[in-house]
Amino acid sequence: MGLVDINKVTFEYIRRDEDGNVEGITTAVDGVSLSVKQGEFIAILGHNGSGKSTLAKHVNAMLFPTEGTVVVDGLDTSNEDNLLQIRQTAGMVFQNPDNQIIGQVVEEEVGFGPENLGVPTEEILQRVEESLKVLGMYEYRHKSPNRLSGGQKQRVSIASVIAMHPKCIVFDEPTAMLDPKGRFEVIQAARALNDVEKITIILITHYMEEVVNADRVFVMDKGKIAMSGTPREIFSRVSELKELRLTVPQVTELAWELKNKGIPIRDGILTREELTEELKKYISLRKRERI
Amino acid sequence: MSLFKRKNNTDTGKEYGPEGSGENRKKYPETDTPDPDGKNSSKDPRVPLLVADHLVYEYSRGTDHLVRALDDVSFSIKKGEFIGLIGHTGSGKSTLVQHLNALLSPVSGTVYFKGEDVFEKGYDRKKLRSKVGLVFQYPEHQLFEETVFADVCFGPKNIGMSRKQAELTAYETIKKVGLPDECFYHSPFDLSGGQKRRVAIAGVLAMKPELLVLDEPTAGLDPKGRDEILTMIDSLRADGEMAIVLVSHSMEDVAQYADRIMVIEKGKKLFDGTPHEVFSHIDELDEIGLAAPEMSYVMRELKKAGIDVNTNVLTIPEARDEILKALG
Repeated sequence: MGLVDINKVTFEYIRRDEDGNVEGITTAVDGVSLSVKQGEFIAILGHNGSGKSTLAKHVNAMLFPTEGTVVVDGLDTSNEDNLLQIRQTAGMVFQNPDNQIIGQVVEEEVGFGPENLGVPTEEILQRVEESLKVLGMYEYRHKSPNRLSGGQKQRVSIASVIAMHPKCIVFDEPTAMLDPKGRFEVIQAARALNDVEKITIILITHYMEEVVNADRVFVMDKGKIAMSGTPREIFSRVSELKELRLTVPQVTELAWELKNKGIPIRDGILTREELTEELKKYISLRKRERI
Repeated sequence: MSLFKRKNNTDTGKEYGPEGSGENRKKYPETDTPDPDGKNSSKDPRVPLLVADHLVYEYSRGTDHLVRALDDVSFSIKKGEFIGLIGHTGSGKSTLVQHLNALLSPVSGTVYFKGEDVFEKGYDRKKLRSKVGLVFQYPEHQLFEETVFADVCFGPKNIGMSRKQAELTAYETIKKVGLPDECFYHSPFDLSGGQKRRVAIAGVLAMKPELLVLDEPTAGLDPKGRDEILTMIDSLRADGEMAIVLVSHSMEDVAQYADRIMVIEKGKKLFDGTPHEVFSHIDELDEIGLAAPEMSYVMRELKKAGIDVNTNVLTIPEARDEILKALG
């Protein structure tokens, strides 16, 4: 059993007209099963409307399955008594930091979660300090969140989640609104939380570059899981991904294009270093042939 | 360039504009070429579409939180140009674009639209806002009508087009942004994220702007959706009339679509040039929290490994061809 067990989950939105009559039913998630182990870093890709955010909202019991079950750390989300604990176990970070920050001061913002959980004051202070240090935001503790950059605001949001000591964090497109540096900071923070703090990470994103270090990648389409595997396996399937309105990291695409032009490069190149190695190998091979 | 020169300002190297303060705003430009009909320089094809002239803007004036958000920014935009505007969060990009249609008025300096000072008393700024269309971040949050068609009609009706004319324009515009016919009478809220955004862009386009400014029009869209929106935006200037300013955090996107890039840093214009010129400053861009397109880094890595490639490369096809050339 994993930390998060999603078991044949179907979720339907009921569309109603102005008078409340049922107009139709949209199946946003369609029979998905997925198990995430403690300490894993998984990524979910998929085009707009593929159902990935809907699925993610099941993990901390913001939505409940129409059919199937979601079990988080042994607790079934359909049991109302479990809700508080589930939301403590699985935290969530959203796209727009401005929509989730409420505190006037960074410290206060981060302390809000644990305070709400009834953590004793001494420990709140300790947790605030600890979480801000983990995210590299400790020196900003007395600042107003309004005065921070996008990446910094997002790191404050993450610190607020960390302060509740979750076992798992769901990131729902955390970098969509950030500049390159902000994007880098947030992804680095997510990786560090996984590596060092052993927090389980579920990352939803439209940026292919951000998932190359994930343990497993799932691609969703029409509410179902269309592809799953390691980043290398997934990004070897360039044309399939393009059909699903996605793409591959830029380096991977370059390698794929070179291969199509007859340069022997293996599939699923994920980093600049790998591409450089492959090209160097090819050049020395040709030199040897010439001799 | 003589067009921009002020009569007694020949050796300063500055090409246009009154210096500094907004008090001595003059009708722009004071040309030394004759203006035969004596009134309308905006008909002159050599007059840029828009000129930002030494713009300075400060937030929280008169308090000790004063922030100089724009610090002496000048540039001009020609018809048909596609300009990428980049800078990290808080660099002043949004403040800048809000000056282009006079939503904010500068502390000093001014903006000329087709040769006329838009902050001059009596200038029709309401009309300006239909001529300089601003598409904000997540514009779909501003959709409100019951149908796609009604939503797109709102803008043109609001600026005084007749009902018939507004509907005709709305029809053309919805087609132009690539929405299928069956969408016309759907609620905009039933559409996908990418489609909603097209409706919102159509709402601005229907006012027939001559300059379209888009603030991160692709945020939150999937890769295919990003490509589709950008290709659509690019097609809007096919007739060479409309100019486009694209504010973006994606270096790859601006490199691919823009023919000119401006970099804003701490309220100042840091670079202004073609994508290749601007992205050749890769180290400076890194330093200010931006980046060059991924391909530039790939080529640098290859060069370091002893493969003889040109590192000033921005897109995947360029990189591919450059590597193939190097491999011989």
